[in-house]
Amino acid sequence: MISYKKRLYWTLQITGWLTYALLQVVFYSLSNENEIPLRRSVFFIVEGLICLGVTHLFRYYVNQWKWLNLGVPNMMLRVLPGIFMLGFVIYFLRVPVSIVLNVVNVQRLEFDPNQIIIGSLFYVFLLFVWSLFYFTYHYIERYNKSLKYEASMIEIELNNLKNQLNPHFIFNALNSIRALVDENPGKSKQAINQLSNILRNSLTFEKKGLTKFDDEMKIVNDYLGLESIRFEERLKTEINIHPDSNNFLVPPFMIQTLVENGIKHGISKLTEGGIIQVKTLADKNRLKIQIRNSGHLINGAKRGKSVGMGIKNTKHRLKLLYGDEASFQIVNENNNFVLTEIIIPRTK
Amino acid sequence: MRALIVDDERLARKELMKLLEDHSVIEVVGEAMNAEEAIQLTNELNPDLLFLDIQMPGKTGFQLLEELDSVPVVVFTTAYDEFALKAFEVNALDYLLKPIQAERLAETVAKITAKERSKAIAAQNPDKKLGLNDQVFVKDGDRCWFVSLTNVRMFESDGNYIKVYFDTNRPMIHKSLNALDEKLDERAFFRASRKHIINLSWVEGIEQWFNGGLMVKLKGGDKVEVSRRQAAKFKDMMSL
Repeated sequence: MISYKKRLYWTLQITGWLTYALLQVVFYSLSNENEIPLRRSVFFIVEGLICLGVTHLFRYYVNQWKWLNLGVPNMMLRVLPGIFMLGFVIYFLRVPVSIVLNVVNVQRLEFDPNQIIIGSLFYVFLLFVWSLFYFTYHYIERYNKSLKYEASMIEIELNNLKNQLNPHFIFNALNSIRALVDENPGKSKQAINQLSNILRNSLTFEKKGLTKFDDEMKIVNDYLGLESIRFEERLKTEINIHPDSNNFLVPPFMIQTLVENGIKHGISKLTEGGIIQVKTLADKNRLKIQIRNSGHLINGAKRGKSVGMGIKNTKHRLKLLYGDEASFQIVNENNNFVLTEIIIPRTK
Repeated sequence: MRALIVDDERLARKELMKLLEDHSVIEVVGEAMNAEEAIQLTNELNPDLLFLDIQMPGKTGFQLLEELDSVPVVVFTTAYDEFALKAFEVNALDYLLKPIQAERLAETVAKITAKERSKAIAAQNPDKKLGLNDQVFVKDGDRCWFVSLTNVRMFESDGNYIKVYFDTNRPMIHKSLNALDEKLDERAFFRASRKHIINLSWVEGIEQWFNGGLMVKLKGGDKVEVSRRQAAKFKDMMSL
């Protein structure tokens, strides 16, 4: 399959140079009314083909040397000498053709210095127009692409915000706390503190910043505390933290989001409830965070949009922050447990 | 009115119970913490009203409703579920957002009791069969309806499904026509043929058809053939 852009390029190249050749024929026949020899026409077409070949070669090197990535001034500094040189190349490529086809001037002016310069400059002008089209097209396309990229970044940010302040969680927590006020005033006060801690942290959260592992775990513990009120005996938690974990910085709310995913898509779907486990392993350079939850991961279309979105966002954040140094995976560990694992490198 | 509260969270149920203490018209006859329990209790207690959470472990509130033959008045309770609530036709819906506000609950209770009073005037079926005053829950893809059986013109079997004809909609439910036939009040609904059950109050005209059968015209233009076997019975029912 030829891509749309390739097809556009070839269409423009062929029609462009063919038009050029035809115009030459027409103008020649207008100025020399008495003769339009076939040889002359063939010569113009061959000339067009030479131009096509040379510009195609030029495009090849423009791509090879990535001139399109340069700023406009730097690009000009390379393109202008380039087209001057190629102007002469076309001129000398065309000389043998004209000799072979016997359409040379009577005076044999092909090698006259003035003729060489004027002839070549004409081709330089053609190449200049060609470059103008070619580079303008690509600069406009790039500009559009960067706009699209910006728009998609904004969308991701918005999704992050939406995911972070999960309204379902907040209103359910408030509902349980209200019932708890009568039943256990002390516990309800503690729950209000936990919820306000989560809300405060989510308000000061900066999307590109990192936070201390211990601070993130405080949020996770508050979150689990609130969900335990809601789910009561249906939610069991196990936390198993490697002592060196706090030497690492982690993206804020990332562990919390994954724990929340585990509860939302795992435990809350089970009538009998289940276990959520947070475990870390740390060595000198890397921190491995494992989140296990009861449940079963369903792949494909049945796995609603929200979980796909949460995972996509987490992967995207890791990529933005650490490039290829971090890893993320979510798998069915066995029939009863889903394992989510992230590995984060040490940041200096 | 006798109400059943369905919510998987104990504290949520407790809070709603407490709020309902102020409304003597509503008597909470039971609590269920999942759909299975709710179905069992609904069949046992036959409540007039369900307070129903949508997101529950196992089956969701919608799946629960699909499994009930006759659906009582339903008030959804949910913390935040804009997508689920959007599935409904506007008129069909009563819902409360958690944490539930006392004023909002009072409004809902007033609305329900008013509706119930007008319904109570119409005589109830003693034999617990589905009559014109009962409503059913129908879910087809993303859309949901509470349909009063008065508005259902006919049921048409289509493979393992039944097409329910009302207004301009024809959603499908996963049931057999025979099972449905047994549950419907035979004074209101008639089994016209292997494929059709019609609502007698929608019949507009009757014509003789081939082989001793009949062709029944329903208000709205649908035409249904009554098989020869059923034709005699039908004439019996429709004549004085």
